[in-house]
Amino acid sequence: MAAPATTEAFSLSYSMFSLLLILFACVELGDAASAVHVYRLIQYDLAGVPLGSRISHLNHHATSLPIDPNADLSRSALVVPLLDLDLSFLRDYITKKKPLGGLVILLPQKLSNKFGDFGKHVDLSRVKSVLNELEDLLVHAELPYPVYFAYESSTFDSLLGDIRGKNFSSQPATSTNGGYKLVISTSEAKKLSPPTISNFQGWLPGQKDGDSEQLPTIAIVASYDTFGAAPSLSVGSDSNGSGVAALLEIARLFSRLYSNPKTRGKYNLLFGLTSGGPYNYNGTQKWLRSFDQRVRESIDYAICLNSVGSWDNDLWMHVSKPPENVYIKEIYDGFSEVAQDMGFSINVKHKKINISNPRVAWEHEQFSRFRVTALTLSGLSAAPEFLQSTGNLHDTRKSADEKAIARTVKLVAESLARQIYGHKGKKIDIFADGSSLAVNSHHIRSWLDLLSRTPRVAPFLSKNNPFIAALKKELSDHTVEVHVQNEVLDGAFTFYDSTEATLNIYQVAGVTFDFLFLMVLGSYLIVLFSFLVITTRGLDDLINIFRRPAVRKSKSA
Amino acid sequence: MTLFHFVNCALLTFGPHVVYYSATPLSEYDTLGTSIKAAVVYLLTALIKLVCLATFLKVPENEGFDPYQEVMKVLIGLVDVAGLYFALTQLTHRNISQNHKFQAVGLGWAFADSVLHRLAPLWIGARGLEFTWEFIFQGLEANANLVMTLSLAALGSLMWLRKNKPRTLIPIIYACAFLLATMPSITSYLRKALEWQTREVVGFEIFSSLVMAFFSWQLFSACQRPL
Repeated sequence: MAAPATTEAFSLSYSMFSLLLILFACVELGDAASAVHVYRLIQYDLAGVPLGSRISHLNHHATSLPIDPNADLSRSALVVPLLDLDLSFLRDYITKKKPLGGLVILLPQKLSNKFGDFGKHVDLSRVKSVLNELEDLLVHAELPYPVYFAYESSTFDSLLGDIRGKNFSSQPATSTNGGYKLVISTSEAKKLSPPTISNFQGWLPGQKDGDSEQLPTIAIVASYDTFGAAPSLSVGSDSNGSGVAALLEIARLFSRLYSNPKTRGKYNLLFGLTSGGPYNYNGTQKWLRSFDQRVRESIDYAICLNSVGSWDNDLWMHVSKPPENVYIKEIYDGFSEVAQDMGFSINVKHKKINISNPRVAWEHEQFSRFRVTALTLSGLSAAPEFLQSTGNLHDTRKSADEKAIARTVKLVAESLARQIYGHKGKKIDIFADGSSLAVNSHHIRSWLDLLSRTPRVAPFLSKNNPFIAALKKELSDHTVEVHVQNEVLDGAFTFYDSTEATLNIYQVAGVTFDFLFLMVLGSYLIVLFSFLVITTRGLDDLINIFRRPAVRKSKSA
Repeated sequence: MTLFHFVNCALLTFGPHVVYYSATPLSEYDTLGTSIKAAVVYLLTALIKLVCLATFLKVPENEGFDPYQEVMKVLIGLVDVAGLYFALTQLTHRNISQNHKFQAVGLGWAFADSVLHRLAPLWIGARGLEFTWEFIFQGLEANANLVMTLSLAALGSLMWLRKNKPRTLIPIIYACAFLLATMPSITSYLRKALEWQTREVVGFEIFSSLVMAFFSWQLFSACQRPL
């Protein structure tokens, strides 16, 4: 009688239970203590040599400084604020190829766009020097573990405080001890197809006098793409967002002059926004190669703008022809005249090109290789090394000053205008402040803000990106015959994707805690069982449970 | 490793029910059917309570303690008592003594309560990597709830199943039963109005459940003497 009822009841409860289980398993909830946005170090191959961070997923316990020099960190993820990082220690680790589970570097919040009230008063110049050294180290080394950048926050502060407290008790966090676990679950990074570079050009044609042939052309060029240790953070406000903003403002000013046939000069103006800058100005080379030879020969000279947002009193004019050259001297005189009026000085720096050396340090060198006179205006006094000063981590909105860009714009515009309209040597202020042709710092600022929000590393900037469309539209507004040239980047670069991820931080209890809890629980249940048996059935029953085999034996016997 | 934690917390939450069933004479008299029926009655009661709550309560604008809402919740909590009454008196049980009847009903009731209220959060939350004390507190609450339900079932059986009771004890019985029935409101008052921490509330629950169990035990044995 009893058996069928119990089995019935059992199967009913079992099915109800399993149904409930299945139902609840379908509900998904996030279960991390906190999730933080992190940005990965670039992963690329250069001429077959693998460089950068080669792994993208992370699943290790977190640890921090100070660490024992002999400790094994292959199963730990090191979380370090930038200014606490000891570069010699890191360099040692990298050169000796010691294994590391992962590296998370915390950048000061001042560098981010969404800087709130968090963060102490950080010395940005010290941050800049440390970042330069760090980026140099990381970008040119092969790191077989994930390296991520994140911004400092209260989450990380409390995490580091907890970890440091545990470290003082000299117990590194492992799976048996508890602590924090950092998990980034992304798939392995895949190779990207060779990057497309898009070069833009726009003309402001000059006024032809009836039968005259080709008018001379003056070109103004800037490269707009960047390269940095963290491609998602590489916004390059100064290198070369400042150049782009300056070029667009100059285009706007001259389009006002050239829109009226009475004020149209006898020079064509060619504006060029090139890509592929960090890769030895490969894009500029392709752009120039695409020109008809006659057009190229009609270019009187080209002004390249690079990093014009961070200078105070000295602007540099870099040339590859010797300064004694007649054309260079003429251009320099024109510039220094205006500079003197504006209250700063221009210095000339000559760097010879070595044709056999593939390294192209300045954009004007590509022009010189095509025998076009060119110069680069820059706030930098020395030529940057390969993959240096091309949009580093510290190069964010705060490192570019719109006033410096405005002064550059005025310098270039005035000198050009004096030459075009034949007012050399005269005391005249064409783009005077307050006039309708004044340099508009709002225009510069809005473009600088946009550029500082848009990471522009070429392999991750597809030609359908809205930023590209915005550049094209802006050029079309001010110039005519806007043409976009899409090419594939030359050279031995291969890039990999997966540049951003979400880091989940879990607080874990460790296996020892679970075992302890199980012990406690087991003893509680046993005590409860014994208590209930004793109170309801009597102590004899409890002892009988353990003696049951013996009792049965005696009964059967 | 966190499946381990889930197993631990599940043991803490549901283990005592199983242990109670197997340790006391309930298993010998095979009262599983009664417990299952009590569990089903609890489900129905919970549904009715949900409908009443949805109909009569407003969505609170602020987190504070609203006396009117709490009184409504107490009244709806009495639906619980009605359900228990139904389970004790109206269901046809086999020939089991009154002693065991209230235990079986209380056990089934408390088990259904635990499963409905605590299984889902446990399944979803305790399996993740993140460790919190929440589920351990939940398990302790389930234990306290079991004791309180058993006490309430005992007092209920005294009120409704036993015809001759000593006159003096009747008001005490009804007072204790009322106190037990309103226990959820008391804990929510502590949590929201006085803002006690979870561990303090759980501690209070355990302490009060033991106290109430002691009182009900005394009352029950006092009423058993004439028989």
